[in-house]
Amino acid sequence: MTTRTPFDIPAHASSDDPRVTLDEQLGTFEPIPPYPPRTEREAEFYTLRDGEMFVNMGPQHPSTHGVLRVVLKIDGEKVVDLDPVLGYLHRGVEKLCENADYHQAICYTDPLEYISSLFCEWSPVIAFEKLLDVQVPRRAEYIRVLSGELNRIASHALFMGWFALDLGGLTPILWSFIERDEIVEMLAALTGQRMLFNYFRIGGVNGDLNHEFMSRLGTWMSKATNQINSNQALLNDNEIFVRRARGLGVMDTATALSMCMTGPNLRATGVPFDVRRAHPYSIYPELDFDIPSRTEGDCLARYLLRMDEVKQSLRIIDQCLHEMPDGPIMAKLPRLIRPRPGRAYAAIEGPRGQYATYAISDGTDQPFRMRIHDPSFVHLQTVGLLTPGNLIADTMAIMASLDPIMGGVDK
Amino acid sequence: MDRALRRRLEARFADRLTGPVRQRHDETEIRIAPGDVPEVLLALHDEPGLRFRMLSDLAGVDTGSAMQVVYHLWSDTTGDWLRVIADGLSRDDPRVPSVTFLWKGSEWMEREAYDMFGITFEGNRDLRRIYMPPDYTSFPLRKDFFLPDDAARSPGGGVRHMEQTHGPTNAETGAHVRQAPAS
Repeated sequence: MTTRTPFDIPAHASSDDPRVTLDEQLGTFEPIPPYPPRTEREAEFYTLRDGEMFVNMGPQHPSTHGVLRVVLKIDGEKVVDLDPVLGYLHRGVEKLCENADYHQAICYTDPLEYISSLFCEWSPVIAFEKLLDVQVPRRAEYIRVLSGELNRIASHALFMGWFALDLGGLTPILWSFIERDEIVEMLAALTGQRMLFNYFRIGGVNGDLNHEFMSRLGTWMSKATNQINSNQALLNDNEIFVRRARGLGVMDTATALSMCMTGPNLRATGVPFDVRRAHPYSIYPELDFDIPSRTEGDCLARYLLRMDEVKQSLRIIDQCLHEMPDGPIMAKLPRLIRPRPGRAYAAIEGPRGQYATYAISDGTDQPFRMRIHDPSFVHLQTVGLLTPGNLIADTMAIMASLDPIMGGVDK
Repeated sequence: MDRALRRRLEARFADRLTGPVRQRHDETEIRIAPGDVPEVLLALHDEPGLRFRMLSDLAGVDTGSAMQVVYHLWSDTTGDWLRVIADGLSRDDPRVPSVTFLWKGSEWMEREAYDMFGITFEGNRDLRRIYMPPDYTSFPLRKDFFLPDDAARSPGGGVRHMEQTHGPTNAETGAHVRQAPAS
């Protein structure tokens, strides 16, 4: 029998054609990097002790919420250590923003956390307004808070579905998509886009409230509380879910602070830190709402805390609708913006924690430096602390309970 | 704006500050030498009147002539953000002590600054590239790293107001290097 060379095979043969022979097996995972270890930690991680092996999770694994690759070092079914490998979604947003003018920079920040885009726009917008010393009209602030809280509910609804899906429950994600779809369609009526809104402008918002948005919002608000309660009853009272999530991935207060955690993940450990109260921006000081916090610090606490936040967001939306003032929605600003040289830092509370922007102006129409701080990035590194000692299946549960979005992690 | 914080900082770190304490909007800013970072941040973190327990952000900055590492801190004792700028790192070999001994969570933020600017954080046990591939050799957020489609360097540069070059140009390559505002 003659051996086939690649020349015998027609060029159009597909890789599953039996005539195609491959000299090396495809799909072999070689976990040890082909270069010497760069750091002490990398050398330690890539040294196997007796009985240990590497398993590659991602970058196409469905429960990594994007393209994250995690190299797991396992002993039997137990995770001994793990090494997240980032960068599969890195676009260099900060560099792009430095080469765009101030208005263009806002739309680059949109796809960072693509399920809560309004918050990604919000912090650079506030930072630029600080550079320019602009006073935003009150109506614009109310519209921002209103649309932002709607986006927070949509994001938490999706979190509920994803978290249950990663624990093996299929039904909640269908329900949460119904929930989220209505909000997203509503925001599309307001902003013109379903996901990447590009709605906030320096000095205000892009468009005023319109009839379609208000009528959809009115219909939704009348049944929202009941709908959200019945959705949450799917999981909150589900014994399988509760027993699976309770006591898993416990984080204590001191570690959470030392890991620079913010948002629901920090509040689940007992620190009632919320930027909306700790360092108020926009019209939040005038609104009446509570900051829920829990002390357990496990996956269940992180889940329940987000569900409590949804109810507070509904309260805020209700107040915004009742107190919405009349007036302009944009401050008077020139088309081409050249802030005076200076530095500004703005942080806001998003659904995942603190989004922050540090902007430096050098007096031209482009930001000199625009640093974007993303909560997902910070929270993802705690997976390395929480997971060792747990089972492989718990890795996904812990990761999902921290709710990272890879678009924001990889920037 | 918290005037009392300014006085407290001036009194406590008088000999460590390399510039005046600046305040604008809700931000207070101090500048220190890179070698003083662990000492100053430890004092800010622990001392009862300061208690800046939360590291809100850690960023690298290339000013065109030097490197900076910028820390943003939050404390429940004041209404201001505190910005600590470790200024004057050399662009050829930027080095600064790591703050992972205070905030373990700064490990990845320091890795990011290393990846993007080449700043070496001494004491960070896992300082390797985080976004770019391991065989990558340059530092993308440095000011002498140009995008291939940088409008300001195109043949039509300077024709339209959006495309005008800003600041001095590099004599060898003809490319402009943006410089941070003096302050």
